[in-house]
Amino acid sequence: MAGMGSGPDHLFNLRNTFYLGAYQTAINNSEIPNLSPEDAVERDCLVFRSYIALGSYQLVISEIDEAAATPLQAVKLLAMYLSSPDNKESTISSVKEWLADSTIGNNAILRLIAGTIFMHEEDYNEALKHTHAGGTMDLHALNVQIFIKMHRSDYAEKQLRVMQQYDEDHTLTQLATAWLNLAVGGSKIQEAYLIFQDFSERYPMTCLVLNSKAVCCMQMGNFDEAESLLLEALNKDAKDPETLANLVVCSLHVGKSSSRYLSQLKLSHPEHVLVKRVSSAEDNFERALQSIA
Amino acid sequence: MLTKFETKSNRVKGLTFHPKRPWILASLHSGVIQLWDYRMGTLIDRFDEHEGPVRGVHFHNSQPLFVSGGDDYKIKVWNHKTHRCLFTLLGHLDYIRTVQFHHENPWIVSASDDQTIRIWNWQSRTCISVLTGHNHYVMCASFHPKEDLVVSASLDQTVRVWDIGSLKKKTVSPADDLMRFTQMNSDLFGGVDAIVKYVLEGHDRGVNWASFHPTLPLIVSGADDRQVKLWRMNETKAWEVDTLRGHMNNVSSVMFHAKQDIIVSNSEDKSIRVWDATKRTGIQTFRREHDRFWILAVHPEINLLAAGHDNGMIVFKLERERPAFAVSGDSLFYAKDRFLRYYEYSTQKDAQVIPIRRPGTPSLNQSPRTLSYSPTENAVLICSDVDGGSYELYIIPKDSVGRSDVVQDAKRGTGGSAVFIARNRFAVLEKSTSQVLVKNLKNEVVKKSSLPIPTDAIFYAGTGNLLCRSEDKVVIFDLQQRLVLGELQTPFVRYVVWSNDMENVALLSKHTIIIASKKLVLQCTLHETIRVKSGAWDDNGVFIYTTLNHIKYCLPNGDSGIIRTLDVPIYITKVSGNTIFCLDRDGKNRAITINATEYIFKLALLRKRYDHVMSMIKNSQLCGQAMIAYLQQKGFPEVALHFVEDERVRFNLALESGNISVAVASATEINEKEQWYRLGVEALRQGNAGIVEFAYQQTKNFERLSFLYLITGKLDKLSKLMKIAEVKNNVMGQFHNALYLGDVKERVKILENAGHLPLAYITASVHGLTDTAERLATELGDNVPSLPEGKTPSLLMPPSPVMCGGDWPLLRVMKGIFEGGLESAARGGAVDEDEEDVGGDWGEGLDMVDVDGMENRDIEAILAEAEGAEEDNDEEGGWGELEGLDLPPELDTPKASANARSSVFVTPTQGMPVSHIWSQKSSLAAEQAAAGSFDTAMRLLNRQLGIKNFAPLKSMFIDLFSGSQSYLRAFSSSPVVPLAIERGWSESNSPNVRGPPALVYDFSQQEEKLKSGYKATTSGKLTEALRLFLSILHTIPLVVVESRSEVDEVKELVIIVKEYVLGLKMELKRRETKDDPVRQQELAAYFTHCNLQLPHLRLALFSAMGVCYKSKNLATAYNFAKRLLETNPVESQAKTARQIVQAAERNMTDTTELNYDFRNPFVICGSTYVPIYRGQKDVSCPYCTARFVPSQEGNICGVCDLAVIGADASGLICSPSQVR
Repeated sequence: MAGMGSGPDHLFNLRNTFYLGAYQTAINNSEIPNLSPEDAVERDCLVFRSYIALGSYQLVISEIDEAAATPLQAVKLLAMYLSSPDNKESTISSVKEWLADSTIGNNAILRLIAGTIFMHEEDYNEALKHTHAGGTMDLHALNVQIFIKMHRSDYAEKQLRVMQQYDEDHTLTQLATAWLNLAVGGSKIQEAYLIFQDFSERYPMTCLVLNSKAVCCMQMGNFDEAESLLLEALNKDAKDPETLANLVVCSLHVGKSSSRYLSQLKLSHPEHVLVKRVSSAEDNFERALQSIA
Repeated sequence: MLTKFETKSNRVKGLTFHPKRPWILASLHSGVIQLWDYRMGTLIDRFDEHEGPVRGVHFHNSQPLFVSGGDDYKIKVWNHKTHRCLFTLLGHLDYIRTVQFHHENPWIVSASDDQTIRIWNWQSRTCISVLTGHNHYVMCASFHPKEDLVVSASLDQTVRVWDIGSLKKKTVSPADDLMRFTQMNSDLFGGVDAIVKYVLEGHDRGVNWASFHPTLPLIVSGADDRQVKLWRMNETKAWEVDTLRGHMNNVSSVMFHAKQDIIVSNSEDKSIRVWDATKRTGIQTFRREHDRFWILAVHPEINLLAAGHDNGMIVFKLERERPAFAVSGDSLFYAKDRFLRYYEYSTQKDAQVIPIRRPGTPSLNQSPRTLSYSPTENAVLICSDVDGGSYELYIIPKDSVGRSDVVQDAKRGTGGSAVFIARNRFAVLEKSTSQVLVKNLKNEVVKKSSLPIPTDAIFYAGTGNLLCRSEDKVVIFDLQQRLVLGELQTPFVRYVVWSNDMENVALLSKHTIIIASKKLVLQCTLHETIRVKSGAWDDNGVFIYTTLNHIKYCLPNGDSGIIRTLDVPIYITKVSGNTIFCLDRDGKNRAITINATEYIFKLALLRKRYDHVMSMIKNSQLCGQAMIAYLQQKGFPEVALHFVEDERVRFNLALESGNISVAVASATEINEKEQWYRLGVEALRQGNAGIVEFAYQQTKNFERLSFLYLITGKLDKLSKLMKIAEVKNNVMGQFHNALYLGDVKERVKILENAGHLPLAYITASVHGLTDTAERLATELGDNVPSLPEGKTPSLLMPPSPVMCGGDWPLLRVMKGIFEGGLESAARGGAVDEDEEDVGGDWGEGLDMVDVDGMENRDIEAILAEAEGAEEDNDEEGGWGELEGLDLPPELDTPKASANARSSVFVTPTQGMPVSHIWSQKSSLAAEQAAAGSFDTAMRLLNRQLGIKNFAPLKSMFIDLFSGSQSYLRAFSSSPVVPLAIERGWSESNSPNVRGPPALVYDFSQQEEKLKSGYKATTSGKLTEALRLFLSILHTIPLVVVESRSEVDEVKELVIIVKEYVLGLKMELKRRETKDDPVRQQELAAYFTHCNLQLPHLRLALFSAMGVCYKSKNLATAYNFAKRLLETNPVESQAKTARQIVQAAERNMTDTTELNYDFRNPFVICGSTYVPIYRGQKDVSCPYCTARFVPSQEGNICGVCDLAVIGADASGLICSPSQVR
C-alpha cells in the first residue's frame, strides 16, 4: 500500500490481475524489473497465492524454503492447509504458534493467511481476532467477506468504509463494494453488476468476473443472461467449481437439466458447498419424512 | 474577448465590415484604405487616393462598392472589384468625419467639420440635401436601419435626430433628383427636405458618436464628457434614459450589439467597455496598453466586432459561439441558451432536458465551455469561465424530458476543467497546484493526485486516465497507477476527440490536427491555414473535421482532402456513415449528408482492401485528374490505369506499374520512338526479352538488337541482322555482328570490301585463313603489315547464353489483382495483400523498437520531474490543503492500531442467514422447501393437500433448495460466499429487505409441459405423455404464483391434468390387458369419458370404437362411431366410423356385456377404474380431486400418487395473495 501521490506503483497491474482472478496471467507477468526488496516479497506472495488459487499446492510447498521471508512462509502454510485435509490440525497449530510470536505475529500476510484458514474452519471469531484490525487492503477485504459470511453486513460496511476512505478506486475496494452490495441485495445488486461490468470492460474477462456478473444476473432474476455468462466462463475453465455450481443453479431456473454439471462438480470438487448442500438436503429430506410420519 | 484578427498599421479611424464576405475595410490616418480578409488574415487590397487622414468608410450592402470620406473634403465612391475610385463627391467645406450608404436608397450620408450633414445620391452623383443646425463639427451621422431618420452627434454637445421622410417622398425616381438639382442651390442652407426632429441635450462636452438601436427606438451616444448616454424616443419626443459612466477619457464610439442586449463602447482611455443594455451596468472591460481607441464597427450579420486604435485594429468576438456538447452513444447533450438539451441521432429527436441558468442571469462569457456526460450516472458536468473557471454537476432526472423550469441546485466547485473519468468519478483540475481532485457524484473529494506536468486543462482519456494539456505538450496519465502512459509534443491543444474504439485520438489545435494512438504515439500531423473548428471519427477510422469554411477528412496515414465547403462554421458532433451530425452557431442540430466515396476509396487503398477498391472502381464515378494524380503519387499507378483513356497517360501509368502488356498496347497505338524506347528499357528491367526485342525492332535500334541477340544466343537472328546491315550498307554494324558471330571470313570480307586491306590481311592471317591471306598479301604487295610476334591468337566466339530463347527469370512486379482486368480481382488480391502485409510488418517491427525506446526515455524523464515536483510540494507544505479537506487517515493509522488488536475487539454475533428469514416468514410449501425447511414444507403440504407420499417430490425439494443460492467467489483461496437468490427483484427494492426465495418452478413451465403432454398424446407417445402430466401434478404443489387469478388457473390446471393422468393410465392399462377383451372394451369406453381435448377425444373414441367392433359389440361401437362423427373428425376416421355405423345398423347387438352405460352419467374410480354412477357413494383425492369408490379411502391417490384419498385438507395455497 504505497502512499498517495508517491512514485509509480509497479505492482499495480499484478495485484489487479490477481484480485480479478487472472491467476495464470499474474504468474506469467510477474517478471517486473527494478522492484524494491519489499515489493519483490509482495510480488512473490502474489505469485504463490496465484499458484494456490490454481490448485498447485505442492509447487508452492516445495518452492518456498526455510530461508524465505515470513510472508512467504505464511503463504506456504496456506498451501499446506489446503493441500492435505488430514494435516489440517498441525498446520493450524503452526499458524497459532506463529501468530503468538511477537516478532512476526503482526505480519499482515500471516494474519491474512490465518484469517483465511480460520474462515475455512468457520471459526470466524478466531479469524477476526487476527484480521479485524486491518492494515492492508487485503485484510480489510477479507474482513468484509468474513462479515458477509456471518450475515453481518453492518460490520462489513464499516470495513468497506475504511477501504473507501483509503482508496475508493482500489480494485479490492470496488470488489468488496460489489460483494457487500450482493449480500444486502435489492437495488444494490444493480450497482454490483455495474462494478463487475466496469471490470470486464477494463480488464480481460476472467472466470471470476464472469461468475460474479452471472451471480448478479441471477440475483436480479435474469437467468438467461447468467447462463450465457457462465457458459462463457466454462469455456475459459471447464473445471472452475463456482462456474459449475452456478451453472447447476442457473440450469434449474431456466428449466434445463442440471445433472451433468452437478456430476462434474461432484467429480472435480467433492468438497464444494453445493455438493455438500445437496447431499445434506437428501439426508434432511429423509429426516423430515421421519418426523412427519 | 476573443481576438480573431489583428493588424498593425497607422492609426485606424474608420472601419466597416463587408456584409457577406469575411472582409473588413480600415481607413487610416495616413490616407490609405486597407481591405483585409480577417478569416485568412491577409491584406487583399489597398486604396490610396485620399490626401490626409480618411476618417469614414462604409461598404455597400449589395453592390461591390464602398464609400470613403477624408480630410481632403472629398467623398469617394469605389468599386472594390475593379479596384477603382468611381467618382468623387465634392461639396463639404471641411474634414469629413463619417460616410454611410443608405440600406435601400442610393444615398450616402456624410458628416463634416463644416457643421453640416449632407445626403448624396450616388447614382446621380449629386448632393440632395444639406442638414444644417449643428453649430460645431459634426462628428458622426448615420441613417436609421429601417426608418427615415438620421442621427448625428456634434461637438456642440448635442445629438440630433433628423426626419428625412420628405426627402424620400421627393426622390421616387432619379428624374426627380435631376429636377431638384436646380432647386438645390436655392434650398441650400434652408432645405426643408430634412428637418430636425429632436435635439438631445445632456452631454457636457462634445459628442463623438451616436447610433440607433437596430430594432428599438433607442439611441446611444458617447462624448468627451466620458459618458455614454442612452436615449429613448417616441413619435413626439425623445429623452435621456440613463448614463453609463466608467470611461476615463473621451468616448470615441459606441454601438448597440447586433444580436445581444448589450452596448459596446470604446474610448481614448485605451479601453473597450461592454455594458448590459437593460441593467445599464458595465459587464466587461478590455484594455490595451498603449493604444487609444478611435472607432468601432459591428458586423451586421454575424457575431463580430472591430475596433480601430492608434496602431492598427482588432476583429473580435465577445463570446465563444461554440456550443458545449458531449456525445454518448446515440445521444448528444448540449447547452443552448439557458438549457441543457438532448438530441438523439437515430431519431433526430431534440428535447430540452433541464435548465442550467436562471433566466436573466448575465450571460456574457458565463456560458458553458465544456460538457462531460456520464451515461452510467446520467449526469453532466458543465465547465464555464464563471469565477475564473468552475464546474457544475447536474444529475439528469429520470423523467428527463420535463418542461420544468426549476433550476436544479447543482453541485459546484472551482477548477480549470472537470471531466468524468469513471463510474461515479470525475476529475477536477486545480491549476494552481497542478493537481487533480478525484470526486464522486456527491462532490466529495475521494482522492488527490499531482499531475506529471504543469497542466492547464484535462480531458478524458479512457477510464481512469486523463489527458493533461500544457502549452506545448500533452500527456496521458493513469490516475491509479500514477504512470504517464504517453506523451506528445504538440502545439496548444484546444479539443480532444477520441475515436469510437478509444484506440486513436485527434488533438485539435488552432491550425494543426495531430492524430495519435491511445498511448500518444504520433501517427500524423496536419496543418491547416484556416482555423480548425471541430471533428469526429467515422466508423472506419477516418477523422472528419471542419475548418472555418470546409469539411475535410484525414486518413490514418495523414492524407487529407476537402469533402465540401461551408458557408458558416459548424461543430461536428458525430459521423455516421454518410451523415455528419453537427451543431451550428445557433445551437441547432443539423445532419449533413456528404459524399464519402473519395475518402472511403482512399482508405480502402491504404488498407489494401483491393476488393473494395475494385468494387468502387466499378460502381462509382470517382474519376478525375486529381484522383489519378493521387493514385500515381501514392504508388497505385495500376489502379489509376483503370481510369485513363488517354494513351500517353495510360502508357506512362502502365510503365510505372510495370504492366508491360498494357504498355505494349499503348505503345503500338502511339507508335513513337520515345515510347518504344522506354518500353524497351522497362521490358529489359523486367527481363521480358521478347518485348525488348519487339521494342528494339520497332525503333530499328539495330545495335542494341544485335547485342540482345548476342547475349540471348539468337545467332541466327544475329546473322540476319548482319545481312540487313549489309543491305543497308552499314559497314560498322556488319562488322560488329560478324565479330559477335565469330565469323572471321565475313569480317575479312567486310574489311576487304571497305578497303581496309591491311586489316583484312591481318585478320585473315591471324585466324589461319591462309588462302585469303595470301591473296590479300599479293594485292597489298609491299605493304604487307607485319604480324605481332610471340602472341597466340584465338578466335573470339560468342558466349553461350545462360538462358536461351524465351524470357529471363522475370522481375516480380506489382501485378496481379488489377492485371486481369476488373473482373477477376478477388483471388489475386488476396495473395497480393498477404505479401504486402509481410513487408509492412517488418517495417513496423523496426519502428516499434524505436518508439519504445523513446517512450521509455520520456517516461523516465517525466517521472523524475514528477518526483521532483512532489518533493517541492512537500517542502512548501503544499499538502496542507489536503489535511484541511478531512481526508481519511493515512496508512499508518490502522497499522498502529493493529498492535493493540486483540485487546478491544469483540467479535460480533453471527447474523441470521436469509434462509432462516425465509422459513420464518413463509407459509408456502415451495418457499419452505427452498429455505431448506423440508419438514415444515411437508407439514404444510400435508395440511393443505393431504399429501402423504412425498417420495415423488424429493427431487423437487432438493432442486428448490439447490436453486435458492448462488455462489460468489470473493477473496482468493477463501471459502466461497453463498448468496440467497430472491424472487421478484426490481431496481427499486430496498437493500437489506429480504424478498421471498427464487423458485426453480413456475407456472409457465407447467403450461409448457401441458403443451408437450398434449403433443405426446396426439402422437401416441402415451408413456411420455403420462410422465409429463404426472410431473405437472407433482410440481404444482411447489409452484408459487402471484395473483388470485393465477391461483384459479393453477387449480384449473390440476383438474385438466388429472383427467389426462386418469385417462392415460386407463389406456395404458387397457394395452396391458390383452387377454381380457371385456375389460379392454370397458377401459377404452371409460377413456372416452375423460375430459380430453377434442383431437384426443377423437382418438379415444376411435380406439374404443375399434375395440368394440372387433369384439362384435356393434351397438356400443355404433355409439362411439356416432359420437366420433359428431366431433367432425378427419376423413379417414369418419370413413371408418360411417362403415361401422352402417354395419351396426344392420345388426344392432352386443355380444358381450360391459360394465358401461353411456346413458347414465358416471365418474371413474382413480384406482379401480370402474364407473361410479351418479348417486353412488364415492370419496375423492383432496389434491387432484380424482374420485374413488369408498373402499379406497385412506389409500394413496392412484392418480396423483401424492395425497391420501379422503383425507381432510384445507386446499391448495400457492400464492402469497392467498395468505395475506
